[in-house]
Amino acid sequence: MELGTAAARLPRLGGPVLEVFARSGLSLLITDPGQPGNPITYVNAGFTEMTGFPPEEAIGRDCRLLEAPDTDPATAAALAAALAEGRPGEFELRHRRRDGRRFWDRVTVVPVPPGFNRPGFAMAILTDITATWEEGAAQVALRSRQEALDKLQERLRAALSASGVMASWDWTIGERRLRGDARFAAVYGLTAEEATSGVPTATFFSIIHPDDQARIRLAVGGILRGAEVFSKEYRIRLPDGTIRWVHARGRRHEAEDETASRFTGTMVDVTEQKRVEERLRIAQTAGGVGTFEYTSGYGTVSVSEQFCQVLGLQPAQDLPLRTINALIHPDDPPLIDPAPPPGAGCIRQVEFRITRPDTGEQRWLTRRGEFLRDIETDDLRFSGVIYDITASKRGEETLRRLNDELEARVAERTADRNRLWRLSAELMLVARFDGTITAANPASAAVLGWTEIELLGRDLFELVHPDEAAATRREFAALADGAPLARFDNRCRRQDGSWRWISWSAAAGEGLINAVGRDITAATEQAEALRQAEEQLRQAQKMEAVGQLTGGIAHDFNNLLTGIIGSLQMLRTRVAQGRLSQVDRYVTAAQGAANRAAALTHRLLAFSRRQTLAPAPTDVNRLIIGMEELVRRTMGPAIRVETALAAELWPTLCDPNQLENALLNLCINARDAMPDGGLVTIATANASLGEAEALQQGMAAGDYVSVAVSDTGTGMSPEVMARAFDPFFTTKPIGQGTGLGLSMIYGFAKQSGGQIRIRSELGCGTTMSIFLPRHATFPTEEEAPMNAEPASRAGQGETVLIVDDEPTVRMLVREVLEELGYHAVEAVDGAAALLVLQSDIRLDLLVTDVGLPGGMNGRQIADAGRALRPGLQALFITGYAEGAALGQGQLEPWMHILHKPFEVEALASKVQQIIRQAEKPKPAASFARGA
Amino acid sequence: MTPRVSPLLNDLERDALTELVNIGVSRAAASLRKMVGGEVLLSVPSLEIIGHRRAAALIQEREGDELVAVRQEFGGAFQGRALLIFPRANGMELVRAVLGEELTPAEAAAMEDEALAETGNVILNSCLATMANMLERSLTMSLPEVLRRGGLSLLQTAEPVEDEGLVLFLYINFSVQNRSIRGYIAMVMDLSSLETLKRLVGEFIDRVMQDDIEA
Repeated sequence: MELGTAAARLPRLGGPVLEVFARSGLSLLITDPGQPGNPITYVNAGFTEMTGFPPEEAIGRDCRLLEAPDTDPATAAALAAALAEGRPGEFELRHRRRDGRRFWDRVTVVPVPPGFNRPGFAMAILTDITATWEEGAAQVALRSRQEALDKLQERLRAALSASGVMASWDWTIGERRLRGDARFAAVYGLTAEEATSGVPTATFFSIIHPDDQARIRLAVGGILRGAEVFSKEYRIRLPDGTIRWVHARGRRHEAEDETASRFTGTMVDVTEQKRVEERLRIAQTAGGVGTFEYTSGYGTVSVSEQFCQVLGLQPAQDLPLRTINALIHPDDPPLIDPAPPPGAGCIRQVEFRITRPDTGEQRWLTRRGEFLRDIETDDLRFSGVIYDITASKRGEETLRRLNDELEARVAERTADRNRLWRLSAELMLVARFDGTITAANPASAAVLGWTEIELLGRDLFELVHPDEAAATRREFAALADGAPLARFDNRCRRQDGSWRWISWSAAAGEGLINAVGRDITAATEQAEALRQAEEQLRQAQKMEAVGQLTGGIAHDFNNLLTGIIGSLQMLRTRVAQGRLSQVDRYVTAAQGAANRAAALTHRLLAFSRRQTLAPAPTDVNRLIIGMEELVRRTMGPAIRVETALAAELWPTLCDPNQLENALLNLCINARDAMPDGGLVTIATANASLGEAEALQQGMAAGDYVSVAVSDTGTGMSPEVMARAFDPFFTTKPIGQGTGLGLSMIYGFAKQSGGQIRIRSELGCGTTMSIFLPRHATFPTEEEAPMNAEPASRAGQGETVLIVDDEPTVRMLVREVLEELGYHAVEAVDGAAALLVLQSDIRLDLLVTDVGLPGGMNGRQIADAGRALRPGLQALFITGYAEGAALGQGQLEPWMHILHKPFEVEALASKVQQIIRQAEKPKPAASFARGA
Repeated sequence: MTPRVSPLLNDLERDALTELVNIGVSRAAASLRKMVGGEVLLSVPSLEIIGHRRAAALIQEREGDELVAVRQEFGGAFQGRALLIFPRANGMELVRAVLGEELTPAEAAAMEDEALAETGNVILNSCLATMANMLERSLTMSLPEVLRRGGLSLLQTAEPVEDEGLVLFLYINFSVQNRSIRGYIAMVMDLSSLETLKRLVGEFIDRVMQDDIEA
């Protein structure tokens, strides 16, 4: 590319304006971004002057012509990018002249887009800014030097602070000039020259904190007007802006010439001291600590406000020594001893009493002080604190007194314990866990006959009865394992060889067992005696009861027997007289009496619950209706009988005869409770008992039928009610009742699975309720008792063996059987019966008593008989339900029972029934017949 | 906390009054130096305005009943009585310090009252005159008299004053010929005089604050 061409093209590119630009002396450069490398297309004279590159060396070169290796690549790249993209921008780069010298170049890029009839181009104006750059560097250097200076000053200030004196000044009053030393200059921010030559005196106040201005101006004003001493604390602002507390001390120096008078002084940084003082002040106030400072030889003491408060004085800053010491108790050391001090560094602490002038109260104080040498005056100062220790003194006193009391108590307790040990009637032992006795009290001699000395070192288990040794060892082991306390009884051997029952309480402590034992031998014997006495009493009561029973029964029986015996005698007499027409009367009378006797024994058995109940489904309402007439007759005309029978009453399962009997008994009791007449009500009801109610009633939960007999009679006391069911308990006169009625009903109800309850109050009548368990079904109509069939004659040769030890019974049974046409063989006991059974006599039936003398009972005879003659039938006639003998449950099919006493007809029909049934299925059952 | 300052004067006024007294005692010290021919320093560490009963109790409490005082009446813009009070032993010390050690005890005793009156006059006069001067008011003073009494009767006026009677109570430390002597200045004034004093002190403060502007 030719120079001329380029120069010629410039006006074409930029017009006349650019031409003016090019001649202005600015360094100008034009590139063509449209060509690869964005080459330089034009440079002006200014460019050549700045860079040393003539146009011929620049034009056509890459636009990065001036870049040097130390040019910042990032800025250069940014510049190139702006050019290429046609963006304007300003960049500062370190460029290289043609001769290699570096310079700082500010490059301003102006892209010119293509116009009509001309291509686009980029123009750059270069400015040498090296000078500006170097100036900046100088500033940086200046700044760092300033910082160094500041640091120096700071160090100086710190050094000054450390030395105490911060600055000193000299104020010439007439001349109104204020001069200061170098430190004053530093504090006030003055040059050394200013400080030396003097500044206006107003400068003095320039750094004082506004809040302190007025105060200090006043003080200085005082000096200027003739006051001699200046001593003030105030805040100043240092050149770095920090606020410090200073203490300025000064003096006015008078000169002959008034105007030559001067005010000189120094200030000391007391900021830290102030802080400490503030903290100290707070601490003093909070802790009730008063401070003081006394310069030896002075009459006054500088004190804090708290100091005055502790002493009970009016607040003051200075107090006369005499005033302070006058408060101290005459026997105590003075608060401050005016005597010559012992020397610096000496610390003294004393305690003393004072009498507070404000309250007159005596208080204990402590003073702690230290002697210090004053640096300025060389005086010896005594500086210290006082505080009230009355509370702790009192505490000490209380503690001391408590301690004395405690000692006295301990001594007392020890004496108590010793007394206890010596005088106790109870055995006290100390033993190791292995049983070795290490101490015993004198009671051991009384209890065991061993002296304390004899027991020492012995094994306790040598003394313990072998039967209790193991149990005692277990207790010892438990104590060794940490059980707090053990109580056990054992027998210990006395010296004389007898045994004593000892009840021990033992506790473990400090590796030993401490045991206290009480001799309970006597108590044990007494308990045994008591038990025996109770047993005897119970026996006596039983005998009394038996006596009462026997008496009652004997009375009834004697009456009945009188009737029977009398009737029989009359019968014999009438038969002997041949007056047979009158015989029947006596027979009837004897039979009646005998039947009543039978009923009596039946009741006795019922009471003993050994009656044999014959429970059957029962309709209680029907039963009551059936007996209503009987009851009415029994009650007599004075007593009304009503029934209240529940509709749809459930059926129950019980022995109807017993129920009847029970109801009759209750009605009779009701009657006896109403000597002046009244009302008896018999009521029935269904009762369903839930769990809770049943539990309360002592019954099983479920459905029950209740039958209640109420009267309007005298009622029962709670005591009577409690014993109502006791056997033989009766409220009736002896002979009128057996005391068995209610007891028997109770037995019946319980045996039937029910219960009986009394509700009664004295004067308000009694209600007795029998509860009987509900049964599923009603009785069937035709279950009416089977009446004795008319006796029919026995078959030919049929033989019955009768075993009974009672000849009368044997005789009766034999006669009845012979009446019926049977052969009868008698045996008095088992042995005799066996002989018969072993013989070849024909036997169709064995009739035997159950209870027999001679070793075999009826059951055993029957079993033996069945062994010899299988198929043999047995009829047990018994006055006593020997359940054990006959088997508790179902009777075997060959076993039959007839209770004594029995009607002759009942015996006859039973025997015939048995023999007939036995013949039907098995005609060959008979041993004899087969023989 | 017992208020140290009567609400009558604010902090700044109290400071200003203390400075005024300081200027006064400085003048007195200068006079005493001339009299004694040795080092004399006086300073007023504290100032209180309290009822005279309390002032009496204060002295009584600190010094007991053995007091000696120099009393002078003053009149002018504000009026009242000024007392320089010492414990009796201190009074004798002052006399010895002023008159010199070479006196025999008998001579000293004979001259005691005269010396006390003179010294007291120097101090009280300097104090009050300087104050009046600084406050730009004139003041007249009576001749000094020496009193030996208890605190309360010292401060009580001959004619009964209403209870409002207040005392400008100053504690002064003397250091005369290296002897430490303590004493009190009590200025007994009625309320109206104190009000005047307060006003004048205010004006004084204003003047002091103008110091720089003059400079």
